[in-house]
Amino acid sequence: MSLRRWALAGLCLALVHCTNNPYPESDEGARVRYQALSGPIKTLDPAVSYSTLEHAITAQVYETLLEYHYLKRPYELIPGLALAVPPPRRSPGGRVAYAFELRPDMRYQQDPCFALGGEGRTTREILAADVAFELMRIADPEVGSPVVTTFTKIVGFSEFAQRLAERRESEPGFADQRIDRQYALAGGIEGVRLHGDHELEIVLTEPYPQLLYWFAMPFTAPVPWEAVVFYDGNDGRDFFREHPISTGPFEIAEFSKHSRIVLARNQNWYGVLHPEWRAPGTIYPSEGEVGDAEQGWLDPDYVGRPLPFLDRMEFRVEKEDIPLFNKFLQGYYDASGIVMESFDKVVVEGRLSPEMSARGMRLVKTVEPSVFYIGFNMHDPVVGTPGGVRSRKLRQAMSLAIDVEEYKRIFSNGRGVSAQSPVPPGIYGYDPEYRNPYRSYDPERARALLDEAGYVGGIDPQTGRPLKLSYDIGDTSTRTRLTVQFFVDAWKQLGLDVTIDATNYNRFREKVREGSYQIFQWGWIADYPDPENFLFLLWGEMATAKNPGAPNTANFSDPRFDELFLEMKDLPNGPRRRALIRRMTTILERERPWIELVHRESYALYHEWLRNVKPAGLSLPTGKYVDLEPELRSEQRLAWNRPITWPAYALAIAGVAVVIPGIVTFFRERQ
Amino acid sequence: MLAYVIRRSAYGVLTILGVLGLLFVLFFVYAEPIDMAQRALGDKAPPEVLEQWIANHGYDRPVAEQLTDHYRRMLTFDFGRSDADDAPISRRLREGAGPSLSFTLPTFVLGLPLGIALSLFVAYFRDTYIDRAGVVLAVLAMSVSVLLYIIGGQFLLGKLLHWFPISGFDSSPGVILRFLALPVLIGIAGGVGSDVRFYRTVFVEETNRDYVRTARAKGCGDGRIMARHVLRNAMIPILTRVVVAIPFLFTGSLLIESFFGIPGLGAMTVEAIHGNDFSTLRVMVYIGALSFVGFQILTDIAYTLVDPRVRLS
Repeated sequence: MSLRRWALAGLCLALVHCTNNPYPESDEGARVRYQALSGPIKTLDPAVSYSTLEHAITAQVYETLLEYHYLKRPYELIPGLALAVPPPRRSPGGRVAYAFELRPDMRYQQDPCFALGGEGRTTREILAADVAFELMRIADPEVGSPVVTTFTKIVGFSEFAQRLAERRESEPGFADQRIDRQYALAGGIEGVRLHGDHELEIVLTEPYPQLLYWFAMPFTAPVPWEAVVFYDGNDGRDFFREHPISTGPFEIAEFSKHSRIVLARNQNWYGVLHPEWRAPGTIYPSEGEVGDAEQGWLDPDYVGRPLPFLDRMEFRVEKEDIPLFNKFLQGYYDASGIVMESFDKVVVEGRLSPEMSARGMRLVKTVEPSVFYIGFNMHDPVVGTPGGVRSRKLRQAMSLAIDVEEYKRIFSNGRGVSAQSPVPPGIYGYDPEYRNPYRSYDPERARALLDEAGYVGGIDPQTGRPLKLSYDIGDTSTRTRLTVQFFVDAWKQLGLDVTIDATNYNRFREKVREGSYQIFQWGWIADYPDPENFLFLLWGEMATAKNPGAPNTANFSDPRFDELFLEMKDLPNGPRRRALIRRMTTILERERPWIELVHRESYALYHEWLRNVKPAGLSLPTGKYVDLEPELRSEQRLAWNRPITWPAYALAIAGVAVVIPGIVTFFRERQ
Repeated sequence: MLAYVIRRSAYGVLTILGVLGLLFVLFFVYAEPIDMAQRALGDKAPPEVLEQWIANHGYDRPVAEQLTDHYRRMLTFDFGRSDADDAPISRRLREGAGPSLSFTLPTFVLGLPLGIALSLFVAYFRDTYIDRAGVVLAVLAMSVSVLLYIIGGQFLLGKLLHWFPISGFDSSPGVILRFLALPVLIGIAGGVGSDVRFYRTVFVEETNRDYVRTARAKGCGDGRIMARHVLRNAMIPILTRVVVAIPFLFTGSLLIESFFGIPGLGAMTVEAIHGNDFSTLRVMVYIGALSFVGFQILTDIAYTLVDPRVRLS
């Protein structure tokens, strides 16, 4: 066979065998869910990991003492590793205690690290002491947990951290000891008390009912000391932050940080070891919120069945949105968001386009428990409290000048719920009927208010020129500048001259610390589903000027608001709490420390083979509830991805047809 | 020659020391440690945790101490840990080198002969429409941004024709080739235009020389003239171009790796830029500078091997 024939045969073979399937053929028909990660995971250490990206993994691997009901909204806590959600117990001196009782005979995943506790040991029981150990890790300054401030309400928490740091500093050799011994020698945390192997009491210096939510997050999941000691990165061993020891339904089967992470079933999960318990977090729920049955989330085929359904979860690092979305369209990812560039093709008038519907996709919209807002520095003499009524009217006028519907249309394809108050949908206290009188778009009223404030036509009487204000942003990107320009233009219509001062994020934070800013823009995404987690952003005690690093960047301080907040934060959900939230909202609507913009809304697309996916908004362990139909997925992938080979042949023939005459002519002329 | 090599090496050492000094000023004097801490820990990290991070990473030490440590670490190849995730940088280099080389080596090994072969082909048919079309296509190919090749390739060959996965990487033996095919193809397409343009000029210049006319007069075949005489005499410019490209095989391709999700050293560099991970970035720049200087010296030595007329002094 001539060389040319070999080349042609090779080309044909390559084209026959070419495929765009990014997964091995052996995965066809397996119950594997494929998901994309927008970047590499920094850490899987539960004490440190805080981003949504990391929680996508840690939430499946770390089982917590409590968890959220999968379907119910507003969110409801149910027992996880604990037998019950503990009620608060009042103690003398204003202290409050919570007693968690862990289920007996629960075990960690199999792992060689447990040999440190006894030769040949590959696992051991999950103990209350492991939760205490994790709380001490959060306190440990060397761990660098970002949630350390929250837990300072535990009696003796800060003192423990201080003792630990001092002994490490002053005693030679102290820091070389095993980490659990260091904690023991530092005396432990006074407010974390163990009663036997399975009971853990947490004593708080003050009432803080929201603490229970933190026990539904991986931060407080039990961690065995053996894992932290063994996985130290030496002698070829992994680091603990890359080698979590699972207590949850899945364990890490492969960790290639920069390309893929594979989770496989944990055969030691308490739901697998003790199916007879039918613990709430180990079976598919039988009740949810109104409308769940219609959405297929209470399918009788699943209700009451033991979890999990999937054999594996695969996360692939996919940094670019467009390839990710295209792979979703080809069926290689089971779910996806919608890229801006394809939005109009996918969503038509708020619904899934006929083209996408014909492919069996579903569009699910979720309002995230978040709020994005423009804030005023209330310490500023022009826009803040020192300016008195004049400043308040200025803030009210500026609030009325912002057309948030237009803003959403331009910058987010109309996605998002226009915010009327800091409390977003899905959080107790949100009132869908409530309309903030200063959050409608009313330029005429805005002008009138500006006139009343003494800035007639936006002119500052002191200078005779348009009132000059500055808008600080901690982002120099063009997109952010454009969004801010939208607001600046709206205020320009009132005659105000607002300049944009764009710096990098840390310079901006520095300005915030120094108090040298007037108007800013920020957002907050809930850590836990409680109105306290939003309204504390305007609590006087949280003012950044008073407490550097605290989140009340507007420096809003109102004694009436603070008093209502202090009462509201400790109350259980009920009419009294709702009434207090309403009164606080009324103060905010008049004082206008913020111009509330949107509660962000995400649009997610799911292929028809995916079952039971109810978007949560919060980072929750949803992987164990999800199922899929692998046969349907294989069929669809095959139908959607047949290679089209004729262009290769056409190109080859065209190339030959163009070149050959030239060669022939060349040789003929030479002869 | 030894004296020349020693002198060049000494210049190289000075260059490297200068690069290291510049890196220190740019990354660790000009940059604010608080920015790095914020990037590493996220927006919600409280100030005391940021301070602790700065202390843990040694950015609160006096500048002189940091400078000494910087030189000591780099010169002893003790690269330390990443600012982004505390992972040892040397481990990340080891992990990233494989994926980078698995893409850059085939691109280089296939692209170089292809470029040379095409250049010989168009040079042989010089002044015909094949030559002119070749030159036009080469200029067109080198004028188009790699980004367009990437997006166009992903769209056409991945999305529309379903020949290759749009992106991704899996080093398992059964599937690695399907992930590398498209990036390699794009890497070759992105480089072949300038190769053909450059090598063609070299070959055309050589074919006009007397020795070619003499060989032809003596009855030497065209194929033999091009492959043995012209190619051999054009080795110096080829060598210069090839050796300059070799260091980049190790450092990977920033764009292609990022767009295709290849977890190589190019993608690592991009991540480090995005994440203010200056510890990683300085290592990448240092390695790039080191290999560039090293290969420059090797190029000079190689000249003497391919052309006996060259003497280093």
